[in-house]
Amino acid sequence: MAQARTTSRTGDAGGARIGSAARVRGRIHGDGDLVVEGQVEGDLAIRGELTIAEGASVASETIEAQSVVVAGTLEGDVASTGTVRLVAGARVRGNLKGSAVSIEEGARFSGRLDCEFDLPAELGGASPRGEARGRAAQRR
Amino acid sequence: MASTVIGAGITVEGEITTDEDVVVAGTVRGKLSAKESVTIEHGATVEADVSGGSLVVAGSLTGNVTANERVDLQSGARVIGNVKAARVTIADGAQFKGNVDMDV
Repeated sequence: MAQARTTSRTGDAGGARIGSAARVRGRIHGDGDLVVEGQVEGDLAIRGELTIAEGASVASETIEAQSVVVAGTLEGDVASTGTVRLVAGARVRGNLKGSAVSIEEGARFSGRLDCEFDLPAELGGASPRGEARGRAAQRR
Repeated sequence: MASTVIGAGITVEGEITTDEDVVVAGTVRGKLSAKESVTIEHGATVEADVSGGSLVVAGSLTGNVTANERVDLQSGARVIGNVKAARVTIADGAQFKGNVDMDV
């Protein structure tokens, strides 16, 4: 049987990208990494790494991913099972939850951090791994 | 590499709008409109009205299609819906149910 020309152009299996000229309104979910270069309005739930690139904007109620890197604009709450990184240029408004959260110089963030970490001994007192004490509230 | 790619494991429920091209290998439900080419790969599922510059379908598509240039239904494609484009090809091995309007 003559096979029509294949159209497989997605190199990374399962990965997805929302290009810089693209806009998605709705819910995105599934397995694989997602790179957003354009605009997304709606909830994101992926089993993979979410990258919000420079120049991208995401407005979402909730974002779930295994790890999150933000270099663009993000409004919404993030729940990551892994790390959350806000790199220089990021503009983030919302609450962040992850196994580790890093905010690099040049990133702007307003919201609440929810992650477990060991407090220094002088601050630790009775609860050396107190999640409640690890919550850093910032003004919004 | 296309500018917007919906990978095989990814589902988008809603509306995708772009001035560039789109490749769907996963699932899209809702609406898909692009200024340039739209490719629905083998194994992809699209339940959406699709508009684009040109459209290549090798996967499953349910919805109405409008293309400014052409629509190619490749072998293995399953399409249910109306197709509107000046040039339409339906390859041997493609399944199609709907109307074709080439009078654009």
